[in-house]
Amino acid sequence: MATEVERKTDIGPPHYEKFLHPLVKENYGKWEYHETLAPGVLMHHGPAGDLYTVRVSSPRLVSINFLNNILDLADKYADGYLRFTSRNNVEFLLANKDNIEPLKKEISELGLLVGGTNNAISNIVHTQGWVHCHSAATDASGLVKSVMDELAEYFTSQKLPAKLRIAVACCLNMCGAVHASDIAILGVHRTPPKIDNATLPNLCEIPTTVASCPNNAIRPTSIEGKTTVKVDEDKCMYCGNCYTVCPAMPLADPLNDGVSIWVGGKICNARSEPMFTKLAIPYLPNNPPRWPEVTGAVKNIVEIYAANAKPYERVGEWINRIGWPKFFDLTGIEFTKYHLDDFRHAGTTYRRSLHNRY
Amino acid sequence: MAIPVEQLADEMYEIIKESAGVKKLKGGDLTKAMVAKYGDEVSRADAKAAIRMLIDSGRCVYGYFGGSSIELPHSEAAENK
Amino acid sequence: MADDLKTPLLDELEKGPWPSFVKDIKSLAGKKEMAKDLLRQLEKSYEDKRGYWKHGGLVGVMGYGGGVIGRYSALPEEFPGVSHFHTLRINQTSGWFYTADALREILNIWEEHGSGLLNVHGSTGDLVLLGTRTEELEPTFRALTEKGWDLGGSGSDLRTPSCCVGPGRCEYACYDTLSLAYNLTHAYQDELHRPMFNYKYKIKMSGCPNDCTAAIARSDMGIIGIWKDDIQVKPDAVAEYVDSGLDVQGLVVENCPTGCIELDGNEIKIDNSNCVKCMHCINVMPKALSPGKERGAAITLGAKAPIVEGALFGSVIIPFMKLEEPFEEVHDLIERIWEFWDEHGTNRERIGEFIERVSLATFLEGIGEKPLPQMIKAPRDNPYVFYEEYYAEEGEGEK
Ligand code: HEM
Ligand code: HEM
Ligand code: HEM
Ligand code: HEM
Ligand code: SF4
Ligand code: SF4
Ligand code: SF4
Ligand code: SF4
Repeated sequence: MATEVERKTDIGPPHYEKFLHPLVKENYGKWEYHETLAPGVLMHHGPAGDLYTVRVSSPRLVSINFLNNILDLADKYADGYLRFTSRNNVEFLLANKDNIEPLKKEISELGLLVGGTNNAISNIVHTQGWVHCHSAATDASGLVKSVMDELAEYFTSQKLPAKLRIAVACCLNMCGAVHASDIAILGVHRTPPKIDNATLPNLCEIPTTVASCPNNAIRPTSIEGKTTVKVDEDKCMYCGNCYTVCPAMPLADPLNDGVSIWVGGKICNARSEPMFTKLAIPYLPNNPPRWPEVTGAVKNIVEIYAANAKPYERVGEWINRIGWPKFFDLTGIEFTKYHLDDFRHAGTTYRRSLHNRY
Repeated sequence: MAIPVEQLADEMYEIIKESAGVKKLKGGDLTKAMVAKYGDEVSRADAKAAIRMLIDSGRCVYGYFGGSSIELPHSEAAENK
Repeated sequence: MADDLKTPLLDELEKGPWPSFVKDIKSLAGKKEMAKDLLRQLEKSYEDKRGYWKHGGLVGVMGYGGGVIGRYSALPEEFPGVSHFHTLRINQTSGWFYTADALREILNIWEEHGSGLLNVHGSTGDLVLLGTRTEELEPTFRALTEKGWDLGGSGSDLRTPSCCVGPGRCEYACYDTLSLAYNLTHAYQDELHRPMFNYKYKIKMSGCPNDCTAAIARSDMGIIGIWKDDIQVKPDAVAEYVDSGLDVQGLVVENCPTGCIELDGNEIKIDNSNCVKCMHCINVMPKALSPGKERGAAITLGAKAPIVEGALFGSVIIPFMKLEEPFEEVHDLIERIWEFWDEHGTNRERIGEFIERVSLATFLEGIGEKPLPQMIKAPRDNPYVFYEEYYAEEGEGEK
């Protein structure tokens, strides 16, 4: 019970108006059009004047030092105003066009890139991985760094046929939305949790552990007179919920954990309807620190897409036009039994017509 | 007649104590249990207030697992001192 | 740099053109034991190809059931600096706008009370303060609220509603996303901080069907701007695009999903009764075309990731709603939805799974909405209709 000085709760976030650049306030809701002046540099025109936006890469996992540098630049060039995008880029909001070039220069001195607009590969949305999560099958920050190092030229240019959005999630819980990206990199566990029968009976409540499994895969059992649990391997989907409540059931398996690659998802409604990603590569090994198999596979898909898609065609739209057989053919990706869906309504993904290209 | 919030809190506390280690209960479960017992004499708002009373007084805590259950304070297996 | 910090694998990630999180964490390693041990534990993860974290379910700030993710190292003796490494989620501001001064206040608090590391932003859209000890949670919370900031959600509660930049810097915005996000976040503080739901509930707001916040894929409730009347056309600007050499026929007309645009010389005609508001033509010619004047939003429900029953996109529940302050109609809808879901949903059942289980028809009845053809792609194709109305033999009337 709080008895001392007043403790505040439920105050919510500050009002956003405090954080709007004066030019944004004046043009609020009255913007007329925008132009892209260069990759990463936008001009928005409104009756009160033009606003210039400079979009900058960020690793998302950052320190106060990184942000302090950014804030100093905001003070120097953007009247102290900035924002972040839904894909974790930094955006400086400038009233003065002449500040663009000096700002870009200082950004590049900090080792950051300007880009991510229009037909570019923007920042990769991702989750925590080995940096912070207990159920990760791979690292997220390291994968993102490795993939974006390979693809940086597509961040700083707009030469792709359309936008290309990449996402990383470090396990099937998919805390980062990868199910609707052009290319998704998804950490996978391939084996059920390993039960430490020596410590489990002392460490974990059996009913809670049993109840933790969304698939009812965990049953109580008795080993040498002690109550412990066992896992029905056919039912387990490697979600890690049991490990959340019971540390004696680790899911991590260095030999088998790895990464799968998914393609063809899309969120915006432009032209075609939103689409889910579909499986392209069922498994690639974890090979830190650089994950060469993964970066190679992603780069290959990007390049084949860039060479073959028509203007404005997103990856999924391109594949729908050429058909999946040709996608596997062009990319050289092996088609396996794992590509055949076996979950509920799997049949809806089977070819139920003779519309095939030979 | 409406059941006093304090009484609801006490009764909820008893239910939580009984099911500790057996079943995790959420706010909704506790509310439903009270409604089952007292019908219209319990409003959702009162049930919510009773839960808030349990939490704010420190008699109960929120557990994360299984989707935010309401539990007796205890130490958990994963904790490091 | 501290001399006991040997991280040859992570050092590889300091190279290359993309900004390096390793370099950045290292910049704190001399000052913060937490940053240093985070790197050392991560190096071990890179060597062993596995994570070393345990999940803490009970830590939090007094009275709140969400906003803190508990985290303990599985190797506390080896890496004492990250023995505790809890995360705080901070309510995002509408559109992720900041002033440098306001953000500096948060950084100073975090330098004093935590690791000095952050996610800007987390995948929920909240600002994530990454890594502190149990005993620092309450002091951090107090320091934050002192400066006007509060915690976001986690567990079975409302997440901080999230929105696109909208009227703040986008000419396509069909309603004020920033204002609605602020309004909902403040209206539902209790639902945000004291988990009472069956499972989490996320609300995302995009100002137009470009859906820059991925509302249709990433939120239980998506509020996506749309218009009902005709696309606004500036004929002069169209002519300018044509004269400037833009292939309007090939890139715009032929990409319209409903084939409702015609190009005649340097004039275009749009059959608006067939336009599905996909945004393509407007995206390609922003100076010439803009959304109509009768604006509002469509509301989708039920997107979720694959846990537990498979992933779903949101589907349209309200094809069109006018959105004007103080947004009472939205509150009313949200509350009807929560009440029905509370009453009939099961533990850990997201709203999308719930609707699939009880059927869309039952759900609509439960929240008091009428079925409309805009809610479906096609009517059912299976004939097993369970008729609820039929005539009884001797004037017993309708059932
Ligand atoms: C020319 C038309 C468009 C304009 C003016 C526009 C405007 C914007 C703006 C202002 C943002 C920042 C939003 C925020 O962080 O709140 C943004 C981000 C985004 N938009 Fe759009 N958008 C357009 C078309 C599209 C389309 C067609 C798509 C999808 C196909 C799309 C997908 C995205 C994504 C994924 C982001 C996050 C990008 C990032 O953070 O780097 N946008 N867009
Ligand atoms: C390929 C793997 C997938 C990945 C990596 C992935 C990743 C993610 C991520 C990161 C989020 C965002 C969470 C947030 O910030 O709100 C998300 C949300 C979501 N995903 Fe996926 N997803 C995947 C597949 C799917 C699939 C197949 C579906 C549905 C068929 C799906 C449905 C959803 C839904 C509905 C959400 C919404 C929000 C939520 O649950 O909060 N995802 N996903
Ligand atoms: C049973 C399934 C799930 C479990 C056990 C789980 C667990 C977690 C954990 C432990 C974290 C914290 C990560 C960290 O900071 O260390 C987290 C973060 C998060 N989760 Fe989940 N999650 C699950 C499902 C989902 C789903 C289905 C979604 C949405 C689609 C989701 C969205 C998120 C988001 C957005 C974050 C923040 C991630 C970030 O900012 O990096 N989670 N989840
Ligand atoms: C109420 C239940 C149903 C009845 C009474 C029914 C009755 C019939 C009848 C009388 C025929 C024509 C047979 C003929 O050529 O003389 C037929 C054909 C057929 N039915 Fe059904 N049917 C039912 C449900 C279904 C369902 C659920 C399906 C599939 C989902 C189905 C698939 C077919 C097919 C594929 C044909 C052949 C159609 C053709 O020759 O073009 N039927 N059915
Ligand atoms: S996706 Fe999996 S491993 Fe990654 S943060 Fe979410 S629960 Fe953790
Ligand atoms: S990993 Fe998930 S599915 Fe497998 S046993 Fe544990 S809780 Fe059940
Ligand atoms: S969703 Fe529409 S209104 Fe919002 S930022 Fe994107 S393009 Fe603009
Ligand atoms: S918005 Fe889409 S459907 Fe409508 S006219 Fe433009 S391209 Fe066609």
